Amino acid sequence: MNRMRFAVLVSLIFVLILVAAGAPRTWAEDNKTPYPSMAPLDQYLMERSAEIALARSAAPESISRDAEVRVLGQHGYETVAKGKNGFVCVVQRSWIAPFDDPGFWNPKGRAPICLNAPAARSYLPLILKRTELVLAGRSKAQMFGDLKAAVDRKELPAMEFGAMCYMMSKQAYLSDSDPRWHPHLMFFAPLTDPAAWGADLAGSPILAFNGKDNPEPITVFLIPVGRWSDGTAAPADAQ
Amino acid sequence: MNRKMAKTIALAAFAVAVVLGTWQARALDAKTPYPNMAPLDQYLIADRSVEIVLARSAAPPSISRDAKVVVLGPHGYETAVEGKNGFVCIVERAWMNPFDSPEFWNPKNRSPICLNPPAARTVLPLTLMRTKLILAGKSKDEVKQSIRAAIEKKELPELEPGAMSYMMSKDAYLTDRGGHNMAHLMFYTPLMDGAAWGANLVDSSNNVSVPFPGSPLLLAPLFKGNPEPIDVFLMGTGMWSDGTAAPVM
Repeated sequence: MNRMRFAVLVSLIFVLILVAAGAPRTWAEDNKTPYPSMAPLDQYLMERSAEIALARSAAPESISRDAEVRVLGQHGYETVAKGKNGFVCVVQRSWIAPFDDPGFWNPKGRAPICLNAPAARSYLPLILKRTELVLAGRSKAQMFGDLKAAVDRKELPAMEFGAMCYMMSKQAYLSDSDPRWHPHLMFFAPLTDPAAWGADLAGSPILAFNGKDNPEPITVFLIPVGRWSDGTAAPADAQ
Repeated sequence: MNRKMAKTIALAAFAVAVVLGTWQARALDAKTPYPNMAPLDQYLIADRSVEIVLARSAAPPSISRDAKVVVLGPHGYETAVEGKNGFVCIVERAWMNPFDSPEFWNPKNRSPICLNPPAARTVLPLTLMRTKLILAGKSKDEVKQSIRAAIEKKELPELEPGAMSYMMSKDAYLTDRGGHNMAHLMFYTPLMDGAAWGANLVDSSNNVSVPFPGSPLLLAPLFKGNPEPIDVFLMGTGMWSDGTAAPVM
């Protein structure tokens, strides 16, 4: 994601705030987006062994070979491989994106991620909760409200100290415009001003997804790395 | 992030491996070259403005220009410039190495670092305390004991979540080995096994063990409960704070 895309994202958020000003927050389906609503479920599902391999590809083999793996089934994520190093690898689907992301319902989205133990305890539940709501047929607006209520009732865990993850898969499909982007690590924090990490500033190697417009009160810091999980160099044109 | 930055970042992991590999390849002499503290003036930078510039060089100007800057004087660190973004930039000296590091007293060491607000509140006090004790003439053992006592009495702040720092100065001198320098970020956590982050390991003599081939992370030998109860994870950036590519050394 380059800075221009970040600027576009910020502008989009601003426009959405203006449109929604004074009214209850709703997420009316936009017929102009390429993915205005959820596609049939089977478009989001994968062949199981392919999904296991894709999930593990998020991190170097030295980490992912001993990780727990979960795959998406008709009724949610299911554990298909027990782990022994505390990491959990899953393939996230598009609905883990920010609510205002035009690719929120993109059935091609495949975002492999290997979460370390603190993230598996505190971030994975957010993935599972969103997925549970999607598979229960909840609309975006309902999901937003359900998640907000769950946060308010403290049903979702707070981010743990040291929660981080690997997203270094060469086979990821993160967006239509830039499917693989860069291999990167992510660090999870409670809702934080990105400036506190020097993120998104000129010359900084750190980017941030500020969660202030999402129901989950977290900020995600991204730092690209130079190699895919298989050790090959990430080309500069990957962005 | 532009393409130039992406290219430089692409070199980061390799640079880290090469630098540390070089360190490892050069076996340490049985005799440490720095058995004792050198005369104090060898650790000081005579021109305060030079130290301010060096301290700021740890992070991109977009961060360091609004940071507080502290410089080392004969009795400890002193605020030289007030900041307004919560970051604090400082040039650490060799005694921030592990106590058993052969370079603990290396007077050439100049380690510019810009700490983010959580690190400024909770990690910087460790630097200031070590420095104050050393400038008071305490021995290594006395310094360790004093810090341990302060920790037990909760006189030092607990590490805050999100504490991290920038060490991207092109003009740093971190070690006598290899290229002397490496552009990187540091992340501070409570004590944990490096495996919790999938990090490779560096010991106090800079020997590297690689339980996680392919990982871009390193667990530094800094602090690690000896005595400060903090772990420090490193991640190469592949570019200096001025935006130029960090060379593959």
